[in-house]
Amino acid sequence: MNVLDIRGLTKKFGEFIAVDNMSLSVREGEIFGFLGSNGAGKSTTINLVASLLRPTSGEIRILERNIAKHRRFAKTNLGIVPQELAIYQDMTALENVIFFAGLYGLRGEELKERALEALQFVGLEDKEKSYPKNFSGGMKRRLNIACAIAHRPKLIIMDEPTVGIDPQSRNYILGSVRRLNEMGCTIIYTSHYMEEVEEICTRIAIVDHGKIIADGTKEQLIAAITDMKNITIELKKADPELAVTLKQIAGIRAISVSDNLITISSDLAVDNLGTILKLLIDSGSEIKALEEQAPNLETVFLTLTGRNLRD
Amino acid sequence: MNNNLSWLILFTLKREFRKASNLIIYFGLPIAGILVSMLLYGNSDQGGLRLGIVNAEGSEVAAADTVRFISGLDHVRLETMGEKELHQRLYSGKLDGGVIIEEGYSASLLDGEPEHIVIESVKGAEVTAYLKAMLNGHIGNMVLLAEAADGDPETFKHLLETNLQGNFQVETETVNDHSDQKQMTYQSIGFLILFMMTSAVNLSELILNTKEDRTYFRIISSPVSSRTYVAANIAVNLFVMLAQTVFTLICLQYVFRIDSGIPVLQLMGLMMLFALNSVSISLVIVAISKNRGVSGSLQNLIIIPSCMLAGCFFPPEVMPSAIRKVSDFMPQSWVLKAIQALQNGRGFAEIALYLGILLAFALVFFLIAIYQFGRNNDIRSFR
Repeated sequence: MNVLDIRGLTKKFGEFIAVDNMSLSVREGEIFGFLGSNGAGKSTTINLVASLLRPTSGEIRILERNIAKHRRFAKTNLGIVPQELAIYQDMTALENVIFFAGLYGLRGEELKERALEALQFVGLEDKEKSYPKNFSGGMKRRLNIACAIAHRPKLIIMDEPTVGIDPQSRNYILGSVRRLNEMGCTIIYTSHYMEEVEEICTRIAIVDHGKIIADGTKEQLIAAITDMKNITIELKKADPELAVTLKQIAGIRAISVSDNLITISSDLAVDNLGTILKLLIDSGSEIKALEEQAPNLETVFLTLTGRNLRD
Repeated sequence: MNNNLSWLILFTLKREFRKASNLIIYFGLPIAGILVSMLLYGNSDQGGLRLGIVNAEGSEVAAADTVRFISGLDHVRLETMGEKELHQRLYSGKLDGGVIIEEGYSASLLDGEPEHIVIESVKGAEVTAYLKAMLNGHIGNMVLLAEAADGDPETFKHLLETNLQGNFQVETETVNDHSDQKQMTYQSIGFLILFMMTSAVNLSELILNTKEDRTYFRIISSPVSSRTYVAANIAVNLFVMLAQTVFTLICLQYVFRIDSGIPVLQLMGLMMLFALNSVSISLVIVAISKNRGVSGSLQNLIIIPSCMLAGCFFPPEVMPSAIRKVSDFMPQSWVLKAIQALQNGRGFAEIALYLGILLAFALVFFLIAIYQFGRNNDIRSFR
């Protein structure tokens, strides 16, 4: 069964098309990676699925029911973990979870049990009476998740749930995602960390300019670009203008420069590494590290969108 | 009641009332308003009228006789002063009333058509009626003397002097002066109006607050619609207004023993009608504000000046007539007018026009807020 079905979805803001005739299905039990750089249309799509925006055209179905006609049903079966923390700092952890779970109609003992269960799930059972203002970043993120799962939704959308937290909390959250999935939840996961997506997602869609430009398992996506290679060069100081010059070299399909790191997606058959190095040296760049790899998800993303995921 | 609506209302009330600072804002400040009113109006001698007199005719016998007559009235403390000082002291509440004897007063008496004497007060008919009745009697007597003198100034003067030397005994009855009590009520309600409006904006700002901390996003992702969320905010707002009004009026009447001169239920009804105005204005402010910084600035820009112009802080008679006309566009002004009308003995049915105007103000502001909320397509805001 498809937990989420999107058909011909379009959302316009004036003349700007944020989501462009998008179609997508998420099957029950999947951890679905939804990748796109900033402004690609991810957040708008999530807001449309959450019924926070009305589509210009197209249809969204959750658990096979059209959300335009069954909004309450759709919302009841949906849990959203927003990218930015959405918790009350002046309410205790337990009060936060109880309040948000109460919005789904839970009351009394059942509500309290579910709230405690959610806190236990994210490892905050001993912090139920503490205030989030005293929490670390990772603990706040975990509470943010607890508030979205206490009502036991069938579909959970997690928008960048690991942004800005320590590795220990990040591992805990990734473990929580897997456990939620094992408990029967279908999860849509967005992240700027490609390695997270590679690690936990069973299927991935890449969105660019409001359209799905690739959709499949990690292996399927990589298989589509087996004739490509990935070159990563770290410079002491990378000039973004270098991308324009390097793009002229034969075989280079896409290039991204960020944080002194140049990522190049190039045809495997073209031996252009020497030309690339010569150009960099001639431009006065100081090379700190260089690596040529087999294609990975990063290469796929760069090849298809022409941009790095973090751009 | 809608299950989610009641859940939101209870949660918001619980969250609001757990903060001591909010209790001070909602209930402490109106009480401080009553105390300020008592300081302003409560230090007068309740047993007498404080009157000022301006005598432009100086030692003219008729004018001097009138001054003597007024100062001889029981429970009257009379002070002679200039016209400017009289007005200043009237508006600051240091005098209950004033009498101005203009030039030509004596001549008009001699002609049998008395004029050039004016009674002024900012405290209404309760002060002026007594003085006017006593003066009418006295001036009537002087007109009779003028008629007896057959228009001859010397004879009139002689008759008046004889009258002055005569051993007439003026008997007066003591009346209870409630003007200070009413003025204290008026002023306390003026402060209550200010605090109701600021409380309403503070509560409506919770909408902006939840948008800023992103909890609004999570709330409307749940089965709660943005309309239900705003409805819950309005319900909380009205509940706080009701609690604030009941608490203030109880303290006014039973703790501070100030007789408002208006039946409690009528005053409550009037204030709840104004609560609708406070909430609707606060919603307009929040609907047109991008964030709490903007709404805070608008609050300062709109509420305090409009309260001042409407007469919440001092009697509107102090202001020039052009500004008084501007105050007609402010709902606060109509509540205060309604209160004055009720204090002067008019019934609730007789102030239907004022009530209708207040209702119309609330309706217009609610419609503006709904329109503005509907226009906002920002995902962090309203659809």
